[in-house]
Amino acid sequence: MAAFAAYTIIGLSLGGIFSLAALGIVLIYRTTGVLNFAHGAMGMFSTFIAWQVFYGWSHPFWPGWLSTFLAVLAGLIFAAGMGLFLEFAVFRWVRSREPVVKAVITIGVLLALQSAASLIWKNNQYHLPIYLAPQQWVWVVPVADVPIGANSIAIIVVALALAFGLGAFLRYTSFGRAMRAVSDSPTSASLWGVPVGKVGAVSWMLGSLVAALAAILITPFINFDTTSLTLLIIDALAAALIGGLVSLPLTVLGGFILGLLETYPTIWIQSIGFPRLVALVVILAVLIVRNPRGFSVAAK
Amino acid sequence: MTSRLMFRVLGALVAFALLARIPVGFDVGFKFDAALAVIWAFGLLSLVLLTGYVGQISLCQATFAGVGAYTAGMMVSSVHVDYLVAVIAGVVVAFALGVIVGLPALRLRGITLAIVTLGIALVFDRYIFQDHAFEWFTGGTGGWRVGQATMFGLRMDSSTHLMAAYLVLLALFCLVALLLVNLHESGAGRRFRAIRDSELAAATMGVNLTRYKLLAFGMSAAIAGMGGSFYPLVAGSVSPQPFWLFTSLQFAAIAVLMGVRYVPAAALGGAFMAFVPDVLTRYGHGTFMGHAYEISYDWFQIAVGVLLIVQLIALPDGVWGDLRSRVRHARSAAGAVGGRRVKVA
Amino acid sequence: MTMLRVRDLTVRFGGIVALDRVSLDLNRGEILGLIGPNGAGKTTLFNCISGVVRPDTGSIYFDNHSLTYAPVHERARLGVARTFQNLQLWGSMTVEENLIVPMDALGRRNTFSDALYLPFSGYAERASRARARAILHVLDLDPYARTLAGDLPAGIQRRVELARALAMRPRLVLLDEPAAGLDAQETAHLAEVLHAVRQRFHVSMLLVDHDMSLVMRVCDYVYVLDFGKMLAKGEPSAIRNDPKVIAAYLGEESKKLPGDIQTIAAAKKDERPLLEVSKVAAGYGGLEVIRDINLTVRPGEVVACIGANGAGKTTTLRAISGMIHPRAGRVMFAGKDVTGSTAERISKLGLIHIPEGRGLFPNLSVEDTLRLVSNTAGREVDISPAFKLFSRLRERRHQLVGTLSGGEQQMVALARAILSQPRLVMIDEMSQGLAPTVVRQLFEIIRVFRDEGIAVLLVEQFVESALDVADRAYVFEHGTIGLSGPAVELRSDRKLVAGSYLGSAVDAAAIASGNGNGHHADPALMEIVSVRVPAKVKRALEQRAETENRPAGAVVVELLEKVDDQ
Repeated sequence: MAAFAAYTIIGLSLGGIFSLAALGIVLIYRTTGVLNFAHGAMGMFSTFIAWQVFYGWSHPFWPGWLSTFLAVLAGLIFAAGMGLFLEFAVFRWVRSREPVVKAVITIGVLLALQSAASLIWKNNQYHLPIYLAPQQWVWVVPVADVPIGANSIAIIVVALALAFGLGAFLRYTSFGRAMRAVSDSPTSASLWGVPVGKVGAVSWMLGSLVAALAAILITPFINFDTTSLTLLIIDALAAALIGGLVSLPLTVLGGFILGLLETYPTIWIQSIGFPRLVALVVILAVLIVRNPRGFSVAAK
Repeated sequence: MTSRLMFRVLGALVAFALLARIPVGFDVGFKFDAALAVIWAFGLLSLVLLTGYVGQISLCQATFAGVGAYTAGMMVSSVHVDYLVAVIAGVVVAFALGVIVGLPALRLRGITLAIVTLGIALVFDRYIFQDHAFEWFTGGTGGWRVGQATMFGLRMDSSTHLMAAYLVLLALFCLVALLLVNLHESGAGRRFRAIRDSELAAATMGVNLTRYKLLAFGMSAAIAGMGGSFYPLVAGSVSPQPFWLFTSLQFAAIAVLMGVRYVPAAALGGAFMAFVPDVLTRYGHGTFMGHAYEISYDWFQIAVGVLLIVQLIALPDGVWGDLRSRVRHARSAAGAVGGRRVKVA
Repeated sequence: MTMLRVRDLTVRFGGIVALDRVSLDLNRGEILGLIGPNGAGKTTLFNCISGVVRPDTGSIYFDNHSLTYAPVHERARLGVARTFQNLQLWGSMTVEENLIVPMDALGRRNTFSDALYLPFSGYAERASRARARAILHVLDLDPYARTLAGDLPAGIQRRVELARALAMRPRLVLLDEPAAGLDAQETAHLAEVLHAVRQRFHVSMLLVDHDMSLVMRVCDYVYVLDFGKMLAKGEPSAIRNDPKVIAAYLGEESKKLPGDIQTIAAAKKDERPLLEVSKVAAGYGGLEVIRDINLTVRPGEVVACIGANGAGKTTTLRAISGMIHPRAGRVMFAGKDVTGSTAERISKLGLIHIPEGRGLFPNLSVEDTLRLVSNTAGREVDISPAFKLFSRLRERRHQLVGTLSGGEQQMVALARAILSQPRLVMIDEMSQGLAPTVVRQLFEIIRVFRDEGIAVLLVEQFVESALDVADRAYVFEHGTIGLSGPAVELRSDRKLVAGSYLGSAVDAAAIASGNGNGHHADPALMEIVSVRVPAKVKRALEQRAETENRPAGAVVVELLEKVDDQ
C-alpha cells in the first residue's frame, strides 16, 4: 500500500512533466500548424543553460535560493529567445508548406540542438539535477506513511498552475482571444484582421518557455543528460495525442494518466525501456480509437 | 526498352567497378568507413523506396537495420552458418518487422505516422536493444563480439575481411539500386507513385492500398536490414549505439537533404554519413590563430540539422534533385544554342 | 435493366443529416444527372457510391453486388470508376502512365518480375501502352501523352481524369463536376466528348455538376437534391420548368413591387467608387477561375453578384479581400491600391469579408467572438448594440459559436460586421443552408447596413431576395461578368436570370439528341413489377411501351388505373 502510494506520487510528478511538455506542443501546433519534434530538445537546451548558471557560474557565497532563481530565470529567458528566433529565422519562411515538411524541419532543429548540447556539455554523462526546493524538504503523508519530496509537489503544482494559468490567459485576455481565434481558423483570423504572424511568434515563445520549465523540473527524476531530455518528446507527444492535439485540459489529463501508466509497471519490472513501450501503446491506442481522419484532415 | 535496361545494367557495372577500387591503398580506418558508407547507403536507399516512391514517412529505418544486424550476428555467433545465410535471415526478419510496422500506416499518414514510427524507433532503441530484459539476446548496452565468420566457405580474417565485405556490400547495393530504378518505371512502381501522389485516386482506380503499403514497408525494411546485417561482419561486433533513435533521425534528415526521390542520392548520402564525421575527427584538430580547436562528431550532426533546415527552405528537391535539374537546365540551354547554330548554318 | 440501385441512403455528420433516405436508379447506358443547390448532399451521395463515405443506413447495389460496405478498390474491380472535382491526377507521372496504373492495377502483375524486367512484364507493359494511346486518341489527348500530368492546364487535366477513368474499362463512370472552371465553349465541347465516350466505350455515367447547361445537354434523366432530400426527378426539360426546382435554386418569387429602392439607387450615381476592380484574373494552382472581372461599388450602395455555382463569384470576393492573390488586374479600395495585399491589412482599411461558411471560430463563445472586434479595431468596442439588433444572441452570449444554428452563426458574423463600422461588407452566400424564414430576417439586416451608410457586396444564390435589397447587380457566367445593371431591371427579366442558372440558353436540338437512349420508367414501380410480375407479362409490357414510344412505367400505371376502375 505504501509502495503503491509512493509510486502514485512519482507517477503524478512524471505526469505533471508530460503535461507541461505536451501543453507546449499543443500550443505551437494549434496556432502555427507545426508539430514540434524538437520540443524536448528545446527544453533540454534551456535546461542546460540553467544548469550552467546553477553549477558553473553561481558564486559560492550566494544563498541557494538566489542561484536557483537566477538559473531558472536564465533558462527561461534563453528559452523565450530561442522560441522567437526559431519562428523568425525558420518557421516564418515555411508557413504555407505542408505540415509534414514543417515537421521534418523540426527534426533538423532537434539534431542541431541535441549535438550542440552534447558538444558543450558532453553526451551520456550524468549531470547533477537542478533542485527547485532543497532535497531535504520532505513531507510525510500521515496515514500512508509515504514521504513526498517538495520537488514532486512543485512539479504537480506548477503543471496544474500552468495549465490553468495558460487556460485563463487564453480565455480572459485580449491576446488569448486572438490566439484562440488563430488556432480555430488561421484563414478566418486573417480575414478578421487578427495579426496571425504575431500570434505565431508569441506561441513559439510560450511553447518554448513551457518546454524549458518542464525540462528543468524533471531533472531530479531522471538520468539527466542530453538525450534523455530530448527523448521526453515521445511521452509528450503521447499526452498531446490524448488531447487530440487540440484540447488543453484533456492534454493535461492525458499527461497525468500516462505518468501513472508508465510508473506502476516499474513496481514489478525494473526497466528503463519499458515506459517507452507504454507510451507507444498509448499512442497507437489513441490513434486507433480516435478516428485518425479527424486530425490528419485538420493537419492538411 | 531493352536498350534502356542494358544501359542501366552497364551503369550499375561501371559504378561498381569505379567504386570498388576506391578504398584500395587506404588504411583500415578508411576501409571501415567505405564499408560503413554502403551500410548507411542501404538505409537511405530504403527511404528512397518508402518515402521517395510511396510517400510514406518513417522515422525508424535504423531500427530495421539494427534488427538485421542483431539477427545476422546471432546466426553467425551461435549457429555458425555461412555469412550469406545470416544475411538472408536478417533480411527476412527485417521484412517481417517492416510489414508489422506498416500496419499502422494503413490508417495513418503524414505527421501521425511520423509519431508512431518515432515511438517504434525509441522502443527498439531503449527497450529491445538496450534494456536488460532482453540482455540474453542483445547483450544489453555493450552488445557482443561476433566470432569468426565464413563467407562462400572462406574464413573472413581481420586483414582481408573489410575489403571483401566492402566488395560484397557494394555488389549487392548496385544490384538493389538497379532493381529500384527498374521498379520506378514498372507497373508496381507506378502503383507506388500513384499512392504517393494521391492515395484517394489510387484506391478508386483499383490499387489495393493495404497490399501495396505493406509491401512497401516490408521491402523498405528488408533493404535497410540487408545493409544492417553486414554490420557485424564489418565492425566485428553488434551494439545498440549505431542503430539508436538518432541514426533513424539522421537517415530521415540526410535522405531528405540529398534528395529522397533519387537512388544515386542514397549512395551520396551514405558516403556523406560515413566519411565526413571520420575525416572531421581525424583532421579537424590543431591550432588556428593561436587557439587550439577540435572538431568532434557533434559538429557533423549540427551541420546535418542546419543543412536540412536550409535545404527545406531553399531547395525542396534535395541536393541531388537540385543538381540534376541544374544539369538538365544547362544541357537544354546548350541544346537550344546548338539548335540555333544549325539553323544558321 | 437497373445497373446502380441506391435505396434509402442516410448519412449523418454529427447532428447534421447530409442525406435523408435518398433513393436513385441508374439504367445501363444512361447518363444520369444529379443536381441541387450547394450543400444539398450531392457530393455526399457521390462519395457513398464511390466508397469514400460510409452510409449510416441504406444500401447500394451495382449489378447485383452490394457496394454498401465494399472497399474502395473492390468497387473499381466491379467496374465503377470516378473523376474528382479537385483534380486528383498523379501529378508527377506522365499522362500515359496515369492511364496505365488503373489498367495494371486490375490485371495481375508481379512486383518482383516488374523489378527484374522479365519478358512477361515487358509484354504486359507494351499492351497497356497501346491501349492507353488508343484512349488518349479518342479524347484528343495524343499530344500530351508524355507530359507530366501536373504540368497541364486544368481544362486538359479534367479530360485526362476522364481518360484515366475509362482506362479501367468501367461500366459506370461517376463524374464529379467535370465542367468546373471551364468556360462556355469548353463546356459545350465537354458535352460532345461525353456523348462520344458513351458511344465508344459503352459506359453509363452519373454526372454531378452545377453547370446546368451541361446537365441539360447530356443527361437522359435528372435527379434534384435539396437539403439532403430528393426534391424532384424527371427528364431535363421537365426539371427545368419544375417550379419546385426553380424555387430551390432562385428562392421564392417575391410579390413585393420595387418602388422606394429605385430612388435610393438613383441618388448614389455620381459619387466616386469605394471599390474598383479592373480586369482582375485569379485562380487556384493550374486553374484560372475568373478572368477580366470589372466591378465597382460606390459608398453606401448595395451590390449583388449572382450567377450559377462555379461561375467565379466566390473567387472574385477572395481576390478582393486578399485571401488569394489576383494574377492580373487591379483592386482599388478607398483610393488605395490593395492588389496583392494581405487579408490582414485589407481588413484594417475597413473592408469586411464574410466568406462562405461564415468565417467564424467554432470554439469561441458568442461574446468572445464579438469582443474580438476590439482586438482588431484598435479600440475598446462596446458590444451591446449587437445584442440590441439580434436579441437572440443575447440569450446565447456564452454559447460556443460552433454549437449555434446556421442562422444564428450568420447573425454573429453580421453583428461583427456592424460593430466594426467598416466601409464595405462583402457577404458570400449568406443564405446558404438556411430556412427561408431565417433568410428573410437576415436580408432585413442588409437594409440596416444601407441605413448606416455601409456599402454591401453580396454574393447570393437566392436571386430574388438579393435583387430585392440590391441597387445594382452583376450576373456571373463562366468566370466573367455576363450581365450587369440596376437590380430593378434584372428583377423584371426573371427569365433572363433564370437562364444563367438553369441553362435555358441551350438549344433544344442538343437536348433531343442527348435523349436518344431514354426510356425511363418510374424506378420504384419497375422494381415492384420486376418482382411480382411474370416474365411473359413483363415482356409484353415492354413491347407495348416501345410501340407506343413511352416509358414502361407509364403503361403499368395506366393498366393499374384500369384495374382500379373496374
